[in-house]
This record gives sequence, structure tokens and C-alpha cells, in this order.
Amino acid sequence: MNIEQTIRDSLEQVALMANCQLIANINEDTVLLQSGLDSLGFAMLVAQLEEDLGVDPFSQMQIAVYPRTFGEFVSIYRQALQGG
Amino acid sequence: MTLLQCLEQADYHTLAIDDLQQCSFPQLLEAAQQLRFKHVAVKQQAIAISYTNLVQFCTEILAFDGWCSQLYLLPDNSVALPADVIQLSDIDAQPRQNSGTARLSEHAATQWFMATSGTTGTPKWIAHSFDSLTRAVKLKPQSHTLRWALCYQPTRFAGLQVVLQSLLSGGTLVDCSAGDAELRVKRMHDNNVNAVSATPSLWRQLLMTGQLNMLALKQITLGGEIADQAILDALSKQFPHARLLHIYASTEAGAGFAVADKTAGFPAKWLQTGHSSLRFKIDNKQHLWLKPPHQPDCKLADRLDNDGFLDTEDLVEVSEERVHFLGRASGVINVGGNKVHPEQVEHVLLQHPAVVQARVYAKNSSVLGQLVAADVQVETGIDSKALKLQLVQHCMRHLARYQVPTQLNFVKTLATNASGKLSRNIQDISQHE
Repeated sequence: MNIEQTIRDSLEQVALMANCQLIANINEDTVLLQSGLDSLGFAMLVAQLEEDLGVDPFSQMQIAVYPRTFGEFVSIYRQALQGG
Repeated sequence: MTLLQCLEQADYHTLAIDDLQQCSFPQLLEAAQQLRFKHVAVKQQAIAISYTNLVQFCTEILAFDGWCSQLYLLPDNSVALPADVIQLSDIDAQPRQNSGTARLSEHAATQWFMATSGTTGTPKWIAHSFDSLTRAVKLKPQSHTLRWALCYQPTRFAGLQVVLQSLLSGGTLVDCSAGDAELRVKRMHDNNVNAVSATPSLWRQLLMTGQLNMLALKQITLGGEIADQAILDALSKQFPHARLLHIYASTEAGAGFAVADKTAGFPAKWLQTGHSSLRFKIDNKQHLWLKPPHQPDCKLADRLDNDGFLDTEDLVEVSEERVHFLGRASGVINVGGNKVHPEQVEHVLLQHPAVVQARVYAKNSSVLGQLVAADVQVETGIDSKALKLQLVQHCMRHLARYQVPTQLNFVKTLATNASGKLSRNIQDISQHE
């Protein structure tokens, strides 16, 4: 399973539902809070990914830092899925 | 004592407000006295003030506490005032009274009023006394070195708590209530903020900026939402030496308390021992009841039980020696500090011609505490995927963004209770999770 692609698909889906205009060319250095997704959209993304991937790394967060960029966000899911 | 008397007695000489305008404590006290002279006519009257900036707001609460009989704090959204309440902005237009007749002696204690969102969706005014509002204020030897970021509107309970905490302890207030998370962190950094009180949801956003570690925080306060262990752990890891408090405040009971042990919920032993002059009990419907040490205002008084307890209408459960908060018994959903009334969202969903029945409830979120979820029963033979988007767009047109269901489930039937009403029982709702 390509985790990054799943996250990108969910991101598109959530942006549509949340009525958020995503910026073009989101890459691993894109700052999440500047991706066009607001805090509600971000919350919806995490909820959607819990359904799609079966994990919510933020609910029992063992990681020391919150993700700032899209790359960090993907890597948190990668770690959570490998750990679980 | 009144707020003004407290500050006169404390005799702080530090900076009270560091904003667009700087203002020391002596300047603030002087401005408050002048404002009383200017408004001799409103002595013992009921007046309403709103917020434009910190210096103005602090001057007004200092001037009018102990001066007016009732002080209404108008939030930014327009809430109807009782007929006998005068808005301060209207009084300014009136001719100034002759200050020669002024008697600046204070009279009876002022009743403070703040708007709350009632379960019906209509905001209601809840009375507080200066004593009840300041009960949670902590005066520590180093309190005057704290520079507080104001992150909430000060006309709301949580924001006013920050204002009063800072004023009464000789700290300095900085308004950081506007802008996105990065802007707020920058403002906190530029103004050497070392004490922040925010909702868990706002703390998560502040952490996501990756820049919070620039701040040298001594005091971290969480309030307005249930604080979960993950956010407490993240903050205590980043700021191991800061004092970390999560606050529980019940507007319904006009009381609150702080938990300082960096653990979610509060110790179950408080149910026996009480804490910070409050007594606690849990009824058989899992509601938390509080017994405040003071007589609550008359609107609340008829809700007291025989032992003097008030129902907070917050649901709790006890596990592993902790009492954990689960949410509101009324089903009101708290989306990152914003209250959503399920009935209002259901009403909007039912306006759509395809919807036969709808139930709206909270879904837990690790980002915003709770999100709005809906189960809908629709006319048969409709393409559900297209309808889902239609329903979301329909809700977007009629509701604030945070009220729009983030999850829509199409169901065949919806459970109703014995009286035929949709069930809001937490057990029924949890079956969907």
C-alpha cells in the first residue's frame, strides 16, 4: 500500500467536503497549515485516514513533535503503521 | 472587595498591558477612576460593555465593577440584552454629568453577566460574582513576572479568566486573539510571552507551527474543552519545567477548578475529599455535580439539590482512580471550543427534500476534540454518493463551517426512544463508533 498516495487521495476528498481550496503542487516541504486546509479540514483528514488506514497517530500520540509539513505528516503515518 | 480595590491594595508598578498601547497598573487605575467620574450617572445601573482593545476593556471592568449594579459583557456576536441594560457606547453620546456631585464610594457588589449558549441554541445570560470569577486566580510569588497571551475573547468566561488572572497577579497582558497559529506564535515571541492559556485544539495548532519552542513558557493552561493525555504529554515534553494546568469550568454551575498533575481528568479521591473548596458527586446518569462554596445566583438556585449541589450537565466516567470527562449530557458538540447544537443541524438536514430522518451527534477527534457526525435516513433510490456532497453543500449554505457534519452515514432506520423522540442516549450513540 502506498501510504502517501492514500493520504493524498483522502486530502483531495476532504478538501472537497470541507470546501477548502488546496494549493497546487503539495510536496513534502509544504507547511500543513498553509496547504489550504484549515483546522477543521485537518481534523476531517485525520478522521478520514483513521477509516482508510485504521490508525490515528494523534489519539495516542507517542511522537514528541506535531507535524509541520506534509512530509512530516506522511512520515508519522508511516511510523504508526510500521509500529502497529 | 472590588477589582479596583484589589488592585489599589496590591499596588503593582509593573506593566499591566503591553499591546498597541502600553499601560502600567497606576495608569490603568487612574483611567478607571476617571471613567467613573465620567459615568456617575450609571452608578447602580445595569450596563453592557463590549471589547475593542485591552486597555479600554480593562479600564471599563475596573471602573464598573463595584460601581454598576450589573455589568454585562457583550460577546462579538450580537446577543439580546435585557430591557433595563444600557450599552456603554450609547451612554457616551449623552451629556457629561457634573462631576462635582460625584461620590466615588462603592456600593453593593456588582453582578457580572456573560452570555452562554443554552441547550436550545438561544444564548442566555449567566450571572457571576466577582468572588466566583476570581476563585481560580492563583497568586504565586513570581506571578508578576508572567506575560500572558490573551487567546480568547475576554467577554467569554475563558478569556475573562486570563484577564483577571493577569491583572490580579500583577502580570502583563498581550492580546494574541487574532490571526492564524503562526501569526499568534510570532506575536507571542515578539512580545516575550511566557504564559499561555488556550483550548487543547488551539494548542495542537500552535504545536503544528513547529515554532512554539521559540517561547520560554513558564505557565501553560488548557481550558474550554476536554484536555486529553496526548496533548498534555506533548506539551510537558516540550516544556518540562513549565507549570501545566488544565482547567475545568462550568458556566452552568458558575464554578471551576484546575488540575496540575499533567494527567487527563481529575483524581477520583476528590469525590471524597473535595478540592479547592468544591465538593463533587456523580449521579446515576453519570452527570458530574458540583457544590460551590458560595450561594449561586438566583437563576441557578432553583436547580440546587437538597445537599446544595448543582448539575454541571457534563458526563463523566471513573476509571483507574481518575474521573474523565466524556462530553455534554445534552449532546451539545464541542468542535475545538465551538458549541454545536445537534437539533439545529438536524433541522437543516431535514430541510433537504431527500432526508426523511436525521440524527446528529459528536464523533471524537484527536485534532479538534469533537466533530459533527450525522446519521441520515433518506428516500430510497437516490445515488448516495452524489447526495452526500449535496447535503454537505446544503448545510454549508445554512450553517457555520464547524456546524456542518464532517461525516454522513446513510442508515435504514433511526432509533427513537419511548416518547418517539430521537435518542440522544450516549450508549445508543456509541454504537455508531
